[in-house]
Amino acid sequence: MSNFEVVIGLEVHTQLKTESKIFCSCSTEFASRPNSNICPVCCGYPGVLPVFNKRALELAVRVSLALECKINQSIYFERKNYFYPDLPKDYQISQYKMPLGEAGILEFPSGKKININRVHLEEDAGKLLHKDDCSWVDFNRTGTPLLEIVSEPDMRSPQEAFDYLTYLKLILQYIGASDCDMEKGSLRCDANISLRKKGDTKLGTKVELKNMNSFKGIRVALEFEAKRQAKAIEEGEGITQETRLWDVEKSKTIVMRTKEQAHDYRYFPEPDLLDFSISSKLIEKEKALVGELPIERRKRFLKDYKIDQKEVDIILSSVWLADFFEQANKYYPKPGELSNWLLGPFLEQVNTLEKGFDSVKISAQKFAQVVKYFCEKKLNNLSAKKALSLSIATDQDIDSIIEKEGLRQVSREDQLSVFVEEAINENPKPVGEYLEGKVQAVMFLVGQVMKKSKGKANPQVVREMLKRRIEK
Amino acid sequence: MKDLININARGLAEKISSQELKKEEVISFFEDRIKKVDPCLGSFIEKYEQPVKGEGKSLLSGLPIAIKDNICIKGKKITCASKILANHIAVYDAEVVRRLKCAGLDIIGTTNMDEFAFGSSTENSCYGATKNPWDRTRVVGGSSGGSAAAVAARLVPFALGSDTGGSIRQPACLCGVVGFKPTYGRVSRFGLVAFGSSLDQIGPITTDFTDCAHLLNIICGHDHRDSTSAFLDVPDFTKSLNADIKGLKIGLPKEYFGQGLNKEVKVAVEGVKKIFQEKGAEMIEVSLPHTEYAVATYYIIASSEASSNLQRFDGIRYGLRVGGQNLEELYANSRGQGFGDEAKRRIFLGTYSLSSGYYDAYYLKALKARTLIRRDFDQVFKKVDALLTPTTPTTAFKIGEKASDPLSMYLSDIYTISTNLAGLPAVSFPCGFSSSKLPIGAQLIGKEFDESSLIKLGSAFQSCSDFHKEIPKIIDE
Amino acid sequence: MADKKDVEYVANLARIKITPEQESSLEEQLSKIIGYIDKLKELDVTGVKPWRGAHITRDVFREDKAIPSEAREEILKNSPSREGDYFKIPKVIE
Repeated sequence: MSNFEVVIGLEVHTQLKTESKIFCSCSTEFASRPNSNICPVCCGYPGVLPVFNKRALELAVRVSLALECKINQSIYFERKNYFYPDLPKDYQISQYKMPLGEAGILEFPSGKKININRVHLEEDAGKLLHKDDCSWVDFNRTGTPLLEIVSEPDMRSPQEAFDYLTYLKLILQYIGASDCDMEKGSLRCDANISLRKKGDTKLGTKVELKNMNSFKGIRVALEFEAKRQAKAIEEGEGITQETRLWDVEKSKTIVMRTKEQAHDYRYFPEPDLLDFSISSKLIEKEKALVGELPIERRKRFLKDYKIDQKEVDIILSSVWLADFFEQANKYYPKPGELSNWLLGPFLEQVNTLEKGFDSVKISAQKFAQVVKYFCEKKLNNLSAKKALSLSIATDQDIDSIIEKEGLRQVSREDQLSVFVEEAINENPKPVGEYLEGKVQAVMFLVGQVMKKSKGKANPQVVREMLKRRIEK
Repeated sequence: MKDLININARGLAEKISSQELKKEEVISFFEDRIKKVDPCLGSFIEKYEQPVKGEGKSLLSGLPIAIKDNICIKGKKITCASKILANHIAVYDAEVVRRLKCAGLDIIGTTNMDEFAFGSSTENSCYGATKNPWDRTRVVGGSSGGSAAAVAARLVPFALGSDTGGSIRQPACLCGVVGFKPTYGRVSRFGLVAFGSSLDQIGPITTDFTDCAHLLNIICGHDHRDSTSAFLDVPDFTKSLNADIKGLKIGLPKEYFGQGLNKEVKVAVEGVKKIFQEKGAEMIEVSLPHTEYAVATYYIIASSEASSNLQRFDGIRYGLRVGGQNLEELYANSRGQGFGDEAKRRIFLGTYSLSSGYYDAYYLKALKARTLIRRDFDQVFKKVDALLTPTTPTTAFKIGEKASDPLSMYLSDIYTISTNLAGLPAVSFPCGFSSSKLPIGAQLIGKEFDESSLIKLGSAFQSCSDFHKEIPKIIDE
Repeated sequence: MADKKDVEYVANLARIKITPEQESSLEEQLSKIIGYIDKLKELDVTGVKPWRGAHITRDVFREDKAIPSEAREEILKNSPSREGDYFKIPKVIE
């Protein structure tokens, strides 16, 4: 295996975030009821005609810009003719000879660059459900706008493929072009993989892999296939150019059962749709909406906020989190503290909410306020967490919460001395242990004082008071 | 009442609006005629029990109209004269149907056609051929043969047809009525079952230019559901009726008057020329040098687009489904049994022209030839305002005569085809009769979006000729 | 010229089942027609751009608004074989 070089290219299909379908006005919203978002146009009825969704073009241009593609000034569509039950017109309106974007680049944070061959628009097909003795067709998904992004075979390991997908997804989400949820089917990926001897420049015979349902799955499938091909070459078997399916149950790739026919799609320009110009005005508008790409944001975060790289990557893995963080930082510019609280208690609490980030109501300002109160010792750790939990889904005013729940940290010794005395008197054993040298035993007593003070005591102050009192 | 057959649609509408006639009287008059006469013609596929009523007012409201059976009428069967759609019911109204309804017209039924509009004789219908009202041993022409026959026999005051390579004009010519193909993009194609997407247009078939202009006013206009629909304002075409044609320059393309043109047809068209000259128009000989490539270019483009447009008839979501052991058999059986011979020929030809290895030599080349054909017209229209040609090389041929020779059928489209390729407006109108009393038609071709000039010229001709007033005697009345 | 292989190839691409009689008849007719269409080979189109046919090639767009269709139930009703909310077809093996 080690004398081979793995060459991987990926073909990603991503659903663009539009309200309606690409050529008709049906909703693209996920519908639980089959065949509910359908109309004569997306069902290929006699006499219907397509009309192009402006937003699909805008988002496609935005993606092409984010991937630094050369964008064609005028585009047109072509018909890809083939028969399949999930394809109502038995042709797909797509792009062939002249894609919307070409020759782009995707850059990883590590600096590695993957070249993008093309980016083009097309319409999605429907879904098939297979039963024992028949199949069922659901056309809800038919006509959803798809962007096909084809990379050059520049990846050299299954891990690089994984990273490419992770980063591509981040970009698409950042610029608001797609949700990229593989589980919901808004992002699909096929892979092409071939092997060649290290040092060779000619590409080996490639195998297409389909049916992977997650980024991890793609990595595992590629790992398997690379090993399979290496073995086949070493044993003199050779590689057949074919399409293989990833069988997730058996953890192996298998040849597709349907005979692989050379596809004659009879592409020709779509006569029902004319040309569409991509003006410099449109490009300028979309460029502004691309905004800061993840890789640039990462550079800026590391430079400006000076927080740990690992923490930066976690914050940046979600557009929502990154935006929230930056907003909070505006109100309380202590990125280190904010990051601790964000990645610690805040995320913990978000995970208990029904819709995760979508359920979060607390403003970035209020979040920053909680962290500020903690740092200024107005709230202790427990109280701050409590304040956060009460506001996170409601955006309740922090000061009112503190008042109502009596969360203000008590740091005055005269207010705490009673509890300190009681704790010492009620717990002779830990006192004794402390005096014997077990310094940690005081923490139990701290806990007792915290209980008595209903969590309001300042634990550092309490600890000092206990130490002094015991040592007396 | 019998006199009603001598009154044009506009005249009938006037009598309805002045209450000289009741709308119901007019409709029953035509329904009676259909009952009596159509059994020996076969122009209707379906004559509705109750008409599909229009609600609205226009200068044509209250009148019945017939529609070629490839235009969607919500809730009604649309068969395209094919077994594959024999029981299919349309789920929406075509744009033209919406406009007719809004203009207060009632749709009384659908007319016979060549299957999916493939043909020039209406012999390719799964319901059998429509017979020419002037001689029932002869074809009506196609593919809008049913509509042309129904108007010629005065079973309806007017009808709609569709034209991809001459399918309105040629049957109108063979039946002795007016058939108008608007500029590509003038009339919405939404709801017209597609044949040649870059060629198809819906248009009126009427007895005279007055009705034609009125009907064009109703059906022309931009439709946001058709991306090829022109964003142009529609002039009032009736303003062009009987306008002065003095000074208009009319071209006579020499390629349309050469070999293959029947003598009697030639003479009749010369008669039109004379009348135009008498009225002050100037006749100029011109040339459209790429005419000889038009038929080949057309058949490649039209069949290719058709082969793709017809892929949707697969037995999955609607239409005929013939089962099989598996999906592939379902497709092959449904389509094999559902499509007639000519439909199969066109699909095969189109699929072949687009297939791997042939695309450049056929389809792509045809699109380039199309540019050259278009340029011919652009050149010519720098010198003239319209062109005058025969519509067909001969009068109506016998039923069955060309059935075994599809190529000869295609070649008879020679005079109409180029205008579809160039997307120009054209109209056929009656200009004489042969010695065996078969109608002869002349054609006027105009600049893009200049339907008005054609109406000017056509109505000028009709103001001093009576060919369009003649009605075939079909049964003893 | 079309030959038997061509006709078979096209019949498969177009998913149309034809009988042997239809096959030979199609072979003959298509050969003739294609023979005629080959006339285009004589035509010199150097430097000529293809034209798709429409006069006005403006950017024709639709606003991104979701509008439900009233035809949904009718579309399902038209299915040759229906199972509840689905279109039913013979089992497809992928």
